[in-house]
Amino acid sequence: MTRLLITEITRMGPAFCVIGLQRESGRIRSVRPVTSTANSWLHFPYRRGDVLRCDLSPFSGAKPHIEDRVTAHGFQKELAVPEPGVVAFLRRAEIAGSLADLFGCAIHENRNGGGLHAKPLEPVRSICGTETKNLRFELCANEPRATLVLSSGEVLRDLPVVDRDWRGFIDAALAEARGANRVHRLERFLNSQFHDKVLSCPHHFLRLGLTRPYHDLCWLMLDTLFPLPKQEWLEEF
Amino acid sequence: MAPITDENGWLRLVLECFRREAGSEAPLPDSSLDLIETGALDSMGWVSFLRALESASGVSDLGALLREQTPSLENTFLALKNARSGSPSSGAGPSSKHQPLTQSSAIIASSGAALGSRKIPSEEVDRAFGMPAGKLRLRAGIESLAYAAEDENELTLGARAAQRALRAAACGPQELDWIIATTETHRSYPSLAAQLHSQLLARETCGALDVGGACLGFVNALAVAQGLIASGHARTIAIITSDVHSRTFKPGRVAGEFGGLFGDGASAFLLRAKNGTRPRPAYGLGEFFFGCAGQYAGAIRVADAPNGNIDAHFDGEALSRAAITRLEKVVGDIELRSGIARSSLQGLATHQPNPRLVTLLAKQCGLPLEKFPVVARHFGNLGSSTCGVALDAILESASSLPADKWGAIFTASLGPGLLFGGGWLVPA
Repeated sequence: MTRLLITEITRMGPAFCVIGLQRESGRIRSVRPVTSTANSWLHFPYRRGDVLRCDLSPFSGAKPHIEDRVTAHGFQKELAVPEPGVVAFLRRAEIAGSLADLFGCAIHENRNGGGLHAKPLEPVRSICGTETKNLRFELCANEPRATLVLSSGEVLRDLPVVDRDWRGFIDAALAEARGANRVHRLERFLNSQFHDKVLSCPHHFLRLGLTRPYHDLCWLMLDTLFPLPKQEWLEEF
Repeated sequence: MAPITDENGWLRLVLECFRREAGSEAPLPDSSLDLIETGALDSMGWVSFLRALESASGVSDLGALLREQTPSLENTFLALKNARSGSPSSGAGPSSKHQPLTQSSAIIASSGAALGSRKIPSEEVDRAFGMPAGKLRLRAGIESLAYAAEDENELTLGARAAQRALRAAACGPQELDWIIATTETHRSYPSLAAQLHSQLLARETCGALDVGGACLGFVNALAVAQGLIASGHARTIAIITSDVHSRTFKPGRVAGEFGGLFGDGASAFLLRAKNGTRPRPAYGLGEFFFGCAGQYAGAIRVADAPNGNIDAHFDGEALSRAAITRLEKVVGDIELRSGIARSSLQGLATHQPNPRLVTLLAKQCGLPLEKFPVVARHFGNLGSSTCGVALDAILESASSLPADKWGAIFTASLGPGLLFGGGWLVPA
């Protein structure tokens, strides 16, 4: 049995992709539990910070998703680690401060529209943590997109935000029950309080991921942003 | 073809961007259908499609206009049309701020170029930088470089190019309302524009303005001049670029792989407000657009080092990749914005980091190399003057043709940052 600290839960269409940290030979590394039949989970009742016991077996997933492991018998929750503790572990796992080091390969910009991508056989991993100097969220047709500045000063523009909690927060902010002008209210929040709350947080940290190959390209995504959004922030705008 | 000004143009833009995202073979879905629900695009492709449209149309937040609407081609077209027409139904979205300036409010009345008068074979430059002879020719495709003679500098080269342009337009310097200068090597005061003002004997009330951006400086200057003319603040403007790299990027101060690429030269253009009484045909300025792709900022950094040397960080491979990708994207965006097919062009006045990259860019763009004037191969990378010297060459070749055979010209360039910008010129 392996103990897995759940660090990522991302939204992939109707399902969720999950990543956790596993300690192995003194190293902390990312592992992506998948079922024997699918890469994602239609139902995943756990939260980030949960420590789960599970059986993981190697899985020869296609590059760059070398972190994939098959879980045979589901999960058993052992305990929960608070957010700052999760980030402390993430800082000891895969981490990079420059674009070239994120996935150990060249990152290209989309020649047609927005976003960045890598070629499927080039990355040495599909998930990596990073610190940011600055971060901006915006909405494009209700889809949250992130632009961020790495420690190296390089700017990554227009990344899709797939973090389940942040996507859920945005959905909640746009819910009809919240009344009029909710899009503009959310935009105001993203342009003001969001910045303070996220960047001034001592455990501000994020992880970037690569999609599975899609039309022969792996797209960069903002998988996880700490701090996670709090329900009470919805009362502020 | 005319720039996009009507509904058909916007519709064409929407369909072209959709095909770029979905693939040229993809069937066109019914215009009212939900593109995501029907699987024509996934949610990432939908956003990418909108981003492509934003980039091509200049509407910066098209996505905001499509919130709470079905993601269909029809709604996209209506949102784009409303944004560009400033319709009240576009709400708080982009409207008049994205309206293009009056098309061709400024014309290029004449141009001139001046190159460093010493022609140096690239092998000699190889040896001076301590590199194996033939490296610049083999690796970068540079055959020779134009170096300034002892009595030449940014001021003399710039003034020579400007005088050629003034003479060609039969324009006296007292007619100038502004002198706009750009350079990446003149780093002292009085600034280059101020010195050119004195050298050309412009009248005292003629403004002198220096525009930055390094290799993008010329395109920046064109946009500034167009704005001054379109707003009615100027009728006649001289844009002058001038760069003397050979005194800055010297052996011992920078690595030969970087310093060896650059030559010395200048260009000048006389811009005038368009009116009905032009003595001869001319090119008019279309739209210009700009941006900064910060993810490439680390590819090139140049700063003064404390020991008097130059601290030039130059990741050649990353820079080449970024330059080609971005220039190709700018060319694609100009094509979409202008509605002018690249195959119909008179030529492309783009930045030319080195001849190899020009060849690669031509290939990526699917264009014959002849559409790109030979600048870097014979003179080296001229920095902010490369685009200007290339544009001068295209204008000169067009002048030998009847005006009704002239094609449009695209200009596109890059600067450290990674700054990028481009625009187009059409027969006026």
